[in-house]
Amino acid sequence: MEEFQLIAIFLFVLFLLLGTGVWVGLALLGVAFVGMELFTTRPVGDTMITTIWSASSSWTLTALPLFIWMGEILYRTRLSQDMFKGLSPWLAPLPGGLVHTNIVGCTIFAAVSGSSAATLTTVGKMSIPELRKRNYPEKMVIGTLTGAATLGLMIPPSLTLIVYGVTVNESISELFIAGILPGLILASMFMAYVAIYSFVSSNYNPDSEAKQTFFEKLANSRFLIPIILLITVVIGSMYAGLATATEAAAIGVIGSLLLAASQKLLTWKTFYESLMGAVRTSAMIALILAGAAFLSLSMGFTGLPRALAETIAELELSRFELLMALLLFYVVIGCFLDGISSVVLTMAVVEPMIRTAGIDIIWFGIFIVVVVEMAQITPPIGFNLFVMQGITNHGMGYIARAAIPMFLIMVLMVFVLIFVPEIATYLPENMSKLNN
Amino acid sequence: MQIFLRRVRSFLDALYLGSGMIAAVFLIAILFLIVLQMLARWTGEIFSGAPEYAGYSMAAASFFAFAHALNKGAHIRVGLLLNAVPKKVLPIVEGWCFAIGTALAWYFVYYAGKATYWSWKFNDISQGQDASPLWIPQMSMVLGSIVFAIALTDHLLHVVFAGSHRIEADVVEQGHGE
Repeated sequence: MEEFQLIAIFLFVLFLLLGTGVWVGLALLGVAFVGMELFTTRPVGDTMITTIWSASSSWTLTALPLFIWMGEILYRTRLSQDMFKGLSPWLAPLPGGLVHTNIVGCTIFAAVSGSSAATLTTVGKMSIPELRKRNYPEKMVIGTLTGAATLGLMIPPSLTLIVYGVTVNESISELFIAGILPGLILASMFMAYVAIYSFVSSNYNPDSEAKQTFFEKLANSRFLIPIILLITVVIGSMYAGLATATEAAAIGVIGSLLLAASQKLLTWKTFYESLMGAVRTSAMIALILAGAAFLSLSMGFTGLPRALAETIAELELSRFELLMALLLFYVVIGCFLDGISSVVLTMAVVEPMIRTAGIDIIWFGIFIVVVVEMAQITPPIGFNLFVMQGITNHGMGYIARAAIPMFLIMVLMVFVLIFVPEIATYLPENMSKLNN
Repeated sequence: MQIFLRRVRSFLDALYLGSGMIAAVFLIAILFLIVLQMLARWTGEIFSGAPEYAGYSMAAASFFAFAHALNKGAHIRVGLLLNAVPKKVLPIVEGWCFAIGTALAWYFVYYAGKATYWSWKFNDISQGQDASPLWIPQMSMVLGSIVFAIALTDHLLHVVFAGSHRIEADVVEQGHGE
């Protein structure tokens, strides 16, 4: 029973530190320290440094700051204006009209940025005022944007997937490629919802758009060509096996700098701001990863992961039952922790479980991302809600309610993913691989 | 005394920002190293050690930026309790968080310093292609975490004596990683 008490202390410290608001990275470090002291006689401090040094100085991790930097640069270009102007003539004739610019805009920006908060701000900056001007129902504008911005996490590059890949030691390019189809399917589901809603609802009467000829449309969207080109090069080079994820990120940074320069927006100020922004965000994630690396070592000594994996194996749950349990588990965790923290905190325990159950680890990465996305738009700590609140001054409750349909679509997406796992596994299995 | 304190204040603020800028230089270094390695591969040359150097730069870019990220409110924390407690109790909770953080950071500094000292003393060489003495890249971990520990101590003292910390709280900044 003594073992049990030690584990209880260990978990208590975990909840205490996280719950009282100690910064997640430091909290994980503290819990790991307590775990090591309780369960081993090893020299704790020295082991900590060895583990954290090798985790922090890893080559795979370098994709992280570069992709963040790329997003920060493009965020400071004229991209949001260009995107609205370029997309609206094509999307206006669809049922549901210009609300689709929210979704398609998010999908495109998601392909150059790994963050859903950045996606939301960039697309929303332009589309919210423009859609309001045209009398689109406010709830629809807010809801679709809040929901579709979560695509930033799924469509490559994705910071959550990099963190997941580093944590479970799997190829980041494969995870990225795996996210493409599910991301596009989710985007189409959002669009289908908008189309259906526009037919059914009686208060969906936006102003109609001026008709444009094909060539006018083409002329308006010429500004989108550079960005589409950039996306093709970054993702294509990974898929074709010409570049690793890190190298694709470096190409992306250079491409974004060129794009900003071509718009004459590359000043010292924007360069400095994008660089410092990237440094901060990447340091934030690096601190969490450092704490998590030490925690997962410490967690190993507690015997908790193995015991849990064995218990789960004894229960003989079917794949579906196990995934449902995990879905519930992550939705609950998502109420308290952000996506990256919940991935790194739980993987030490969940990874053995998944591998024992014979679930594809790449596929599970996509699964976990959809689930984490759902937490982005649910109170109390959905980051997209905070960001949206900042842009629109609507209350959290209003935004969360507006996003409920999107939340339900994501739940549907989880089931699609479970029953048709090929949508996540087909592309990575057929890509050419550079390393491993 | 007042003048002295103001000098200390501006020195510390410059230290945090300067440390963040060093981190930024290392981020640019990562970009250069990776581009060079790519060019080398495409032209059939070998740039041995590039992955290791990029890794060291990654560590430096992280450790040197911890303090700057803290000041700008970029580090993620669970805000549920902090938002719920009454204004009077808040300094106590904040004080607790900073105390834990400060203790852990100095603990880390001590062992990072120790490990780096032994790397230097025994002339530990990297296992990778670069074969560089490990104490050089490890210095970034020591120096960066010292600045981070100073920053946490700084905020802790501010909470204790002035009742509030000096972090520019910004949930949106935290959200940038998501």
